[in-house]
Amino acid sequence: MDPIIRLENVSFSYKINEKTKVSVLKNISLSIFPGEYVAIIGHNGSGKSTLSKLLNGILTPDHGEVWVHGHNTKDTNKKRAIRQAVGMVFQHPDNQIVATIVEEDVAFGLENIGVPREEMKKRVDEALNVVKMSPFRHRPPHHLSGGQKQRVAIAGVLAMQPECIVFDEATSMLDSFGRKEVIQVMRQMNNMGMTIITVTHHMSEAAEAGRIIVVEDGEIVMDGTPREIFKHKQELEALKLEVPSVSQMAEVIHRQFADFSRDIIHEHEFIGEVEEFLSGGVGS
Amino acid sequence: MTVKPIIEIENLTHTYMKGTPMEHVALKGTNLYVEAGECIAIIGHTGSGKSTLIQHLNGLIRPESGRVVIDGEDLAKKKIDLKTLRRKVGIVFQNPEDQIFEKIIGDDIAYGPFKMGLPLKEVRERVKWAMSVVGLDFEEMKDRQTFALSGGQKRKVALAGILALKPKILVLDEPTAGLDPRSRNELLDKIKRLNKEEKLTVIFVSHNMEEVAMLADRVYVMADGKDVLSGTPKEIFTDKEKLVRHQIGTPETVQVLYRLTDLGYQVRTDAFSITEAADEIMKLFAGRKEGTEHVQRI
Amino acid sequence: MSSEFDISRNITIGQYVPTGSFIHRLDPRIKLLIFVFLVVAIALNTSYIGNAVGLILSLYLFWASKIPISYGLSGVKPAIPFIIILAVLQLLFQGQLFSGGKVFVDYGFILITSESIRLVIVSAVRFIEIIFLSSVLTLSTSTTELTHSIQSLLSPLKKMNFPVHEISLITTISIRFVPTFAIEMEKMMKAQASRGADFGSGSWWRIIQRTKEMFPIIIPLFNIALARAEDLILAMEARCYTPGGERSTYSVYKAVTKDYLILLVGLLLTLLLLFYPFPI
Repeated sequence: MDPIIRLENVSFSYKINEKTKVSVLKNISLSIFPGEYVAIIGHNGSGKSTLSKLLNGILTPDHGEVWVHGHNTKDTNKKRAIRQAVGMVFQHPDNQIVATIVEEDVAFGLENIGVPREEMKKRVDEALNVVKMSPFRHRPPHHLSGGQKQRVAIAGVLAMQPECIVFDEATSMLDSFGRKEVIQVMRQMNNMGMTIITVTHHMSEAAEAGRIIVVEDGEIVMDGTPREIFKHKQELEALKLEVPSVSQMAEVIHRQFADFSRDIIHEHEFIGEVEEFLSGGVGS
Repeated sequence: MTVKPIIEIENLTHTYMKGTPMEHVALKGTNLYVEAGECIAIIGHTGSGKSTLIQHLNGLIRPESGRVVIDGEDLAKKKIDLKTLRRKVGIVFQNPEDQIFEKIIGDDIAYGPFKMGLPLKEVRERVKWAMSVVGLDFEEMKDRQTFALSGGQKRKVALAGILALKPKILVLDEPTAGLDPRSRNELLDKIKRLNKEEKLTVIFVSHNMEEVAMLADRVYVMADGKDVLSGTPKEIFTDKEKLVRHQIGTPETVQVLYRLTDLGYQVRTDAFSITEAADEIMKLFAGRKEGTEHVQRI
Repeated sequence: MSSEFDISRNITIGQYVPTGSFIHRLDPRIKLLIFVFLVVAIALNTSYIGNAVGLILSLYLFWASKIPISYGLSGVKPAIPFIIILAVLQLLFQGQLFSGGKVFVDYGFILITSESIRLVIVSAVRFIEIIFLSSVLTLSTSTTELTHSIQSLLSPLKKMNFPVHEISLITTISIRFVPTFAIEMEKMMKAQASRGADFGSGSWWRIIQRTKEMFPIIIPLFNIALARAEDLILAMEARCYTPGGERSTYSVYKAVTKDYLILLVGLLLTLLLLFYPFPI
């Protein structure tokens, strides 16, 4: 299968002034395949957010190439095709809503790419349904909660029918309820076949993904399934990243009871392991 | 209770835009008692009245009806000394890094003490102290540019800006929102030390139940403009019926323990830390230890 | 008012009150057009009866739009000092210009005549009428409908290369961010007041001092606005926005017979107010 997004030896630096440049990403190569659910984690300043902005050509690399569906993101003629293929939801709920009414905002991207009105109506309806915001379609955005605003922003991207959506720390400004709402929508869209890339520092959110990429100091230091990644507890702790609570608990128990599996990342797995352990099923 | 509380709020109400069609009742008779030296968490959904409540603590909002007494001063009086009150009660708003306006870190932290009319030497001492408390090196950082700082560092500067007022009561509105785990843990550690070592009375609003369980001596749960529940974290997080009724989240560890009790296992549900919770679960395994040792894993 | 910082809640722009009345359902372009006509007609009408008609009309529109009249009154309330000052100034200083009719007072430069009293009363009533009409318009029309209407009424200018769509987008975004910034400003004032800032006191003639007091508010707000604008540009670009590009439109209004009938009624009322020789 061909990757949707392919990064080839990508480097990127921010210019502070004429003389000084700060190198943010160093020689990164990476492929994202259709239908994947990828979490990019790393602490603030690791370069994860810059990485996400390279994925749909908002930023272009200093060295190396980013390919979206075979289009180079440096090719300005392909900008529209690239952004239609890879949508993006940003961190601040308030700073990505342009219209004064929810449904108008969802339509904004469609207006930009000249979708005919009848088609537009249909897509807006569908997108609002997916994120469960249909009852709010005529509301002004400032009357919505953070989680609701993010769902509107997602609907606006979804309506453009991209193949991949990048969430750039889209849950970091939300409370736990808002976060749950947004994560649920991500999972649902991934089940529908959409490629999801989420940049986050919440481990429970990363555990939802099928693949985790750990970025530190502008480089990819780990890349694998959550199960593989969370096995490296010490390395993660050295990066000041936490593994999920249930993994930590399993680890503590494992130290006392060697048969209790430490290979646990979800709550239901943990409960299952406890039950099995008590019924004596473990190891047999 | 023999000690006189440092904060006494009784039956407080507040209505925004009173007498207009946009009228909105934010507080419907809420109470809050805090003793000196306590660390109090306020939790509740968006719109439950938390922000409105904390803004009463330094007189940003004056009581409409009900009693607000801060350190012996009744805020219902017509004339109150707001300046002194605001020095006594330092409020750190959400995303406080937004309020930094000076180019140099030291200048920004010194803003409050200068407004108090303190002599330069005293201001300098306070800035130095505040920076050391939040973990910023005075000599190294005081002349740095504010805009070049990371999010976590900016938040420390903002916190230092309030601490430089030397408040007796520190109020924080979602102090860790938007921070990465590294900065979050650092900040929580600082808050804990301010409470335990510097003896500040701390009141914080949070959505993160791990934080609440870790820091708070007592918790107030707000819903629909009222305090619906209060008690120690243990009392709050073990009252399952009320947790469900008020839709309060719990720390992840407690959630796991609840799942297990639902399945009929006998575990206490008031273990907040990873090790406590793991210990609690391992109690279930007691008696199995010998049994499991000879089971080989293939 | 219980707080010195209630800013965000005092802003009534975009205070849309959906009641579903026939005024709400009217084609917003026609509503805007009738509003413009009526305001011009009222502004030019100096007759007592004419303005009584205008006042009754604006009260009727409140009733017909099912919006409580208290909304209209809360719009008038802050204007009362202006209305009074204007009335006093007109009474004292404009007598010479409107010197017709009976003379009541003639003392030095002060000349009060029945015509100058008419001017004072009619101006005050007009003011209230126009506030009522604007309130009905904005309370019964969403800001989106309003900007779309302005856009379509301006659209003939497109042929002259006037960037109608860009202007309308800028308007929409500005309106969209008014409440956000009001909240931001209120929060910033409270945050700085908590650090000892003092905005209320200080003598008004010490302008430099007072301006300096505003720095801790203005600088952060400016930074926030810049950061927001940057984010917004990224978000718009990510959704394929290209300035000046060909776009389709989501909201399309189609006027029906009823709308044209109401436009006709509006026109007749306008003509009546403009040209009918009211006896007083």
